[in-house]
Order: sequence, then structure tokens, then C-alpha cells
Amino acid sequence: MSSDRPHRPHGTRPLFRFPWLSRRQVSADVDEELRLHIQQTAQELREQGWPAGEARLEAERRFGDLEFTRKFCRDEDLRREGEKRRMTILDELKQDLRYALRALRASPGFTATALLTLALGIGANTAIFSVVRGVLLDPLPFPQADRVVRLWNVDRALGIDRGWVSEPDFIDWRARSKLAESMGGYFFADGQLGLDLTGKGNPERISAALVTDGFFQALGTRALLGRTFVSDEHVPGRDRVVVLSHGLWTRRFGSDPSLVNKTLTLNGQPFVVVGIMPPGFTYPADQSLDAWIPVSFFGPDAIGRSRGSRFLSVVARMKPGVNETQLRAEVAGIAARLVREYTDNPGWDDASSLSIRDSILGEVRRPLVVLMVAVAMLLLIACANVASLLLARATGRQRELAVRAALGAGRGRIARQLLTENLTLATLGGLLGIGLGLVAVRAIAAAGASELPRAGDIRIDGVVLAFTLAVSIVSGLLFGLAPTARASGGNLEVSLRSGGRGTVGGAGQRMRSALVVAEVALAVMLVVGAGLATKSFARLLSVKPGFEPSNALVVVTGVPSRYPTAEGRANFYYAILDAIRRVPGVQAAGSIRDLPMQGNGEMNGVTLPGQAVLPGHELTVQRQHISTDYFKALGTPLRAGRTFEMTDREGAPLVVVVNDELAKRFWPAESAVGKTLLIGTTPIQVIGVVGDVRQRGLAEAVEPTMYVHVLQNFRIRMSIVVRTAGDPLTYANAVRQAIWSVDPNQTITSITTLDSVLGHAVSRPRLLAWLMALFGAIGLTLGALGIFGVLAYAVNQRRQEIGVRVALGATPRSVLSLVVGNGMLLAGIGVALGLIGAALVTKSMQTVLYDIRPTDPVTFAEVVVVLLGASLLASWLPARRALAIDPVTALRYD
Amino acid sequence: MARESLGLVQGTVDVLILKTLTWAPMHGYGIAQWIRQRTEGALAVEDAALYQALHRLERKGWVESEWGVSDTNRKAKFYHITRDGRKQLAADVAELRRYVAALFKVLQPA
Repeated sequence: MSSDRPHRPHGTRPLFRFPWLSRRQVSADVDEELRLHIQQTAQELREQGWPAGEARLEAERRFGDLEFTRKFCRDEDLRREGEKRRMTILDELKQDLRYALRALRASPGFTATALLTLALGIGANTAIFSVVRGVLLDPLPFPQADRVVRLWNVDRALGIDRGWVSEPDFIDWRARSKLAESMGGYFFADGQLGLDLTGKGNPERISAALVTDGFFQALGTRALLGRTFVSDEHVPGRDRVVVLSHGLWTRRFGSDPSLVNKTLTLNGQPFVVVGIMPPGFTYPADQSLDAWIPVSFFGPDAIGRSRGSRFLSVVARMKPGVNETQLRAEVAGIAARLVREYTDNPGWDDASSLSIRDSILGEVRRPLVVLMVAVAMLLLIACANVASLLLARATGRQRELAVRAALGAGRGRIARQLLTENLTLATLGGLLGIGLGLVAVRAIAAAGASELPRAGDIRIDGVVLAFTLAVSIVSGLLFGLAPTARASGGNLEVSLRSGGRGTVGGAGQRMRSALVVAEVALAVMLVVGAGLATKSFARLLSVKPGFEPSNALVVVTGVPSRYPTAEGRANFYYAILDAIRRVPGVQAAGSIRDLPMQGNGEMNGVTLPGQAVLPGHELTVQRQHISTDYFKALGTPLRAGRTFEMTDREGAPLVVVVNDELAKRFWPAESAVGKTLLIGTTPIQVIGVVGDVRQRGLAEAVEPTMYVHVLQNFRIRMSIVVRTAGDPLTYANAVRQAIWSVDPNQTITSITTLDSVLGHAVSRPRLLAWLMALFGAIGLTLGALGIFGVLAYAVNQRRQEIGVRVALGATPRSVLSLVVGNGMLLAGIGVALGLIGAALVTKSMQTVLYDIRPTDPVTFAEVVVVLLGASLLASWLPARRALAIDPVTALRYD
Repeated sequence: MARESLGLVQGTVDVLILKTLTWAPMHGYGIAQWIRQRTEGALAVEDAALYQALHRLERKGWVESEWGVSDTNRKAKFYHITRDGRKQLAADVAELRRYVAALFKVLQPA
């Protein structure tokens, strides 16, 4: 006997068959073994004549150090069991992995299809998750941000829920609130408030926010270097101080740490740099901001300080334990008391609030949630598709698995092997998905760089990779669930006997059919979402902006602060315009304070003479400050009357041009030209009517607007529209030179085209529409592929049956309708379920859609047609193959 | 650990056990009996050392064990030698031969 096979002496039977032993078992085994040995020795001693009582003691004595041996053996065994366990798991895993890779290589068509499908699903999820994480999930750059809220003044009668706050009101809010730990106000309008930074290097117009005392304290962010403002520095005379952003500090000053306490020249005045903020802190700007200065720097002559002069946005940090509702109620109470105490401020007796997170991310959250739902559906479709492929493959592999089972692989072992195979597939798909995701994230970040708050935070890092890995594993488990359950739970003897043909119909086919129905249903939901988003975007694009966007250059600049007199400022303003007008090829040039899509002008209460209206309850209209030729340059039609001439200047009668909307509101039946408006008690004559311009944005309604001539009501900000003969960008340099010919130090904030201003305004809906369309197309393709795969497989499995039918005289028509009917039945059920699902799900898209209802019946109908069409195509191709079956070969085949 | 430093003795116990198991799978008591009988009592392995050696050898993968029931219908743990055990035995025996030969060269008068 020299075999090393595990075996037992003849006639024995195994008592233990666990693959490895527990700690207690090991211990008990050793005790038992040694006990049995001593028992046997004692018995032998008794047989040799030892007295029963002493035999046992002698046996123990002869044994040697029993306790040490017991411990020694136990330790050795435990160590052995541990090693064995590790080796077994590792070995089997290695074996499974090798086997899985071999199996995947053996069917390259299946593997490629499955991997591509998974890569699309996982890649889309990776991309959207990294955007969501960067934009929505990363903590805001404020400590305990959940205690920070925005506050607004509310006038119910005017219907203004989020009004700005005047400085005297704000000071009273801050002083009287007991629930706020600190409260700050700021004035900031993106791209509109600039300071001229001069001195070393090129003159530059930097963006700045004006802040009150309490602003930095309410947000809670500390300076990276130096400090933020102290209360003392918000007093006129001591307020020539500035806090710089990390961005400006690195860009302009090369991260020079000695900049703190040095002096910069802003708007021609010396400012001491008191601190540098940490990277990522750009509040209240979305993307980038250069500096913060005390609002007191602009005196009452520049910014009104009466209770009616509302310009401050308010942030507050609540005391611990206080909630938003309590603070809002307290501030509303204060506002109501202020209205009673000061009669010059009627109406604004309430307050509203929003958490800082919602105020920053509220607008982008919904589209991102929509996209997240879309990619989750895409992944589910991908999983259903792969599951369906696996099921088809599993039927073919039943014999292989049965053989393995017959050779001694346990049911669990086979399930584990299939699981390994699926997870390998999922992981490989995930790797490819990361690649796709990387490309997609770059594209999204580039497309959304200007439109998403915190777009700079979008990146693929460890957390995103961990997410992708988790998604891959979950997908692997998901798509492997049904096939594995079937393969390891099936009756193996039956599959062995069936000769490897697998069973026709039966549970496998039913499961695949269910998967196809689910896939089609999900695809319907996805395509409905895509249809709604693209239609909404198309409708947004078809909105007439009220101007001619092509062939126009836009230059944003401003009159510098070194012109102290009104006359000097006006001269400079028109000198710039005239210089541009002289550029060859320029057809017209005009200027406005805020370009359409880029600013909302100033709001004014307006009444008609003879109308009795309570003060503060006038019709609110937009007031825009423009130059001559503005409408000509913009391409907005003059409906009646005239536009401004250089003679409409200070001293001449006050005149305005109004838009159609305003004319319609006040004089629905007659011409507005020559009529008089009242601002307060000042009468103003309407000299012309122009077409409506979408000032606030394409999706926003046109407001009644009046345009005033800058020579009668001056504003330093200039957004110059230059109408050109050809491609506007080719004029950019000549226009820049023209401006510098007036003043070589003039800072130009930006030069772009009117087209891109318009494009910028729709870039977020465009991104949403593109992504949804992309995901919808992928979902549709995958869904159609799913139908095709299942039917093609079924035709292949049923070739004998079809052969018999043909042999028995079935017409091609009946064979065709058999297969196509089968496919269309599944598609029909899927479409029906999908429509119900879509009706429920697309409700959440309400706020991201323009001019289309989430349950738009036309879109739903179109999707039904598209889905059924794709299903028909996907069923027709396998049906053609069924037609080609030759009954003779089909019957001989087996 | 004094018992671990038995050196030659411990190595010898291992060789004896492995050699014994090449005849048949046996339980600990049986191995002790077998060695005593084969050497006619000249070599007696202490029980404690025997069991420590068995468990050590099992951890190294040279023997494997299994509970069973003996011919006399007693429950016992049976050990058998593995393929690795046989290799080890061959190597040990060769080593031991060289050792003993060297020893005798010194001990035998020239």
C-alpha cells in the first residue's frame, strides 16, 4: 500500500466531511485524540496487570507533558486550517477566473456584445455620477453649511417673493435678529460689477462683490492668508481694504504670500489687501470672483441708502439648534415691524428664505437628477440585455455544466463559477466604462464649464472609481442573477439526456421574454424623456429673441472712474462708440447697460397720469440705459415713432422708447407714441415703440420695458453691440484698436459675438437635450438589440419545429407572422408598461422643460411609433432567417 | 523552547513517523506500537513528542489525518503520508545516511 490518495483503512467510514474546521472543533479534535491515546495506553497497562486505579495515572505519566502537547497540537492545527482555508479560496478563485476568461474568449461575439453593452451603461453612469458628485455632493466651501441660509424681503401685494433688501432694513434685521449668529449682505451681479486694477502689469477689470459687515462671518469661511474684514473696516474712510480670491492671487500675483498688507490700486484708489481666500471660495459667484470690498466704498451718491433702495442679498448663519423656518418667521416679524415704524417703505412686510445649498444648486439639481435617472435606466437596460444574452448562452452550456456537475462540482461551486464569470465580465465592462466615462466627463465639463456652478470640481477620482466598481459589481450580480439561478438550479440529468440542445421554450425562454419586455419598457421611458428634452430645447431655440444674433460683435467695457464730471463721462462714452462706428465694415454700433440674456436692467414703478395708485404698487417695468443706434445694431425693429437722437440729452425733455409689451399694457387700443408716463411725479414722453426683446432669457416672458437715453440718465457700464458686414470676429481686433485709440489704458471686459451670447443662454438646456438624446438613442438601440437577440435565438432553437411546419405546408407568410408576431407581442407589452412608467417618471422633468408638458401626447405617440418600428425591424430580421430554413436540412440537422 | 531544540532526535522522530506511515495509515497509538515492535524496543518515541511531530507534519502537508474507526471498532484519528511527505522522507533519509556515515567515520578507529 503506497498510495497517497486520501483513503481510510478498510471498513472505516468518515465522520467529518467539512472542508475546514472551526476553532472549537480543532480543540475538541486534539482533546479527543489525546484522550483516546491515553485510554488505550491505560487499557494496555491494565492488561499487563496494573491496578485499574493506577493504570490511568501511569499512562499519563508515560505520555510526557500532556498540557504542552495539547496546546502545541492545537496551535499547529489552527495554523494549518487557516492556511488551508486561504489556499482553497484563492485556488478556487484563480481556477474560476482562469476558467471564466477562457469561457469568455471562447465566445468572442457574445463577449464583445456584452462588454460593449456594459461599457455604455457603466460609462454613462460614471460620467453623470462624477458630474453629480462634483456639482451636488461635494461639500460647499462653508463650515457647517446647513446652518447658512439666504434671506429675502417679500412684498405679497407686488407678488415679489425674493426681493432684495435695503441697507437700512438689513442693518435692522441684523441688529434685531436673536436667532441668527451672524448676518451679512452683499451686492453682486455676475459679470456686471468690476473694479479697474491698475499698477504693475496690464490694467485689468476685475470682478468684485460688495459686502457688508457679517458677510464672511455668516458664511464662516476663514481666509487662507491674512484675515477677512473686521467691523471697523465697513466705515467710510476706513474701508479701502480688499480681500482677494485664490484665483486672482495665483493668476495675477503668482501666489505671492507677501501680498497681504500690501496696497493695490482699484478704481484709482489705494486698497490694502487684508486677506486671501482659500481655493474654491468664490461666493456669491458661481465660477470665479476676483475680490471682495466693503459696500461702504460706494457712497449714497452711487448706491441709494434709503429704505426703498433695495440692492442687498442677505446670508445668515443660524445659531445652533435654530431651523430655517424659525429664522424666517423671526425676520418676517422684524420686516413687518419695520414697515410699521417707517412709513416710506410700505408693502415689504414679509421675508422668505432658502438654504444656501438650495440657493446655489437649486437650478441644476433637477436636470442632474433627471440625467441620473436616465443613466440608471440605461444601465438597467444594459443589464437586462446581458442577462438575456447570458440566458441564451446558459441554455447552450447546460451540457457543459451538467458534465462538470457529474464530475463532482457541487451546485454551489458551479454557481460560484458562474458568478466569477459574470463578475469578470462586469469588471471588464466597468474598465471599458471608465474609459468611456473619462471621455464623456471631459466633454460634459467642457460643454458645461460656464453653465454649471462648481464645474471646476468635476473630476474622476477614487470616489468615482469606487462608485464605478460598485456599479459594475451590482450589475454583474444583477444580470447574473437569473442565469445563475437557472443554471445551478436546473435538473442536470435532464440536460445531459437532452443531448445538449437545451430545452425549447420553458423557463429560460419565459425569463428572456420577461427581460425583453422590461427592456422595451425602460427604453420607452428613456426615449420619452429624450424626446421631451430635445423638443423642449428645439422650442426654446425657435423662440424669437427679438434681435438678429448673427453678424454682430459684442464688446463689454465701461467708463472708467477717472472722469469726474457727467459731461466728461458722456463724452468718453460716445467717443468710444464713434471710434467703433468709423471702423470700415461696421454698419452700426450702439450700447446698452445689460445685454439681453446677461442682465435684467433696473426695475421701476411706472404710472399713467391721472391714475390713482398707492405708492409702491405701480406697474413694475424694466429700465434699460442705451445709446443711439442701439436697436439698429441689435437688429430690433422700430414699430412706431423714432429712437434716440444726440439731441435727447440733459436739459431736453425726458423721453423714452418702450417695447411692444409695455405699449400693449398701457395703450392696448392706440399708439403709444406721444403718450406720457410718470415715474414718481416726473412725466416722461414716449417717442417710439420697438419690438419685444427677450431680455431675461429665452424661456422667460417679455417684461414691459422702457429704454432711456444714457445722455439723460447716465450709466457707466457699456455693452456695445457692433453690427458688421461679415464674420463679426474678424472685426474684433479693429474694434479693440478703435477703443484703444480713444484711451490706450481702457480695460475691455470681454469681446464675443451676439450668437455666442445667445448660445451661452441655452447651453444648459442644450447639454441636457444632447445627453438625453444620446442616452435615449443608446437605450433604443439596446432595446432593439434585445428583441433581435431573443428572437434570433428562438428561431435558431425552433428550426426543427419551423422545418416541420414548412414541411407540413406552412406558408412563408404564416412563418413570418409566427416570428414577427412573437416579437411584436413582447414589444407591445413592453411599450404599454413603458408608457405607464413614463407618465409617472417624466413628471419630475416638469421644471426643466420649456413650452411642453411632461405628458405631451404627441411625444408619447411618436415614441410608440419609434419603439414599435424598431421592434418590427428587430423581429423581421430573425423572421427572414426562419423563412430561409430548409425543412430537409432542419430535420436532418440533429 | 527546549523541546524544539532536540535537533537530531526531533528530526529522527519525523523520519520514523513518515517511514512508518509508508506501510499503512495509522493512528498515533498504532505508530508508537509499530516503532517499538520494529526496533524491538530499542527506540521508543515519547508519546508527547510523537503527537507534536504528527501535528507539525500535518501542518507542513507531509501527512494528512482523518477520523475513522479501527479494526477493533475504536474511534481514532488516522494519519496517512502525502506525496510531499514521501519526497521529504526520501530527502531526510539521504541526509540521515550522510550524517550517520560521517559520524561513524569519526567514531571508528582509523
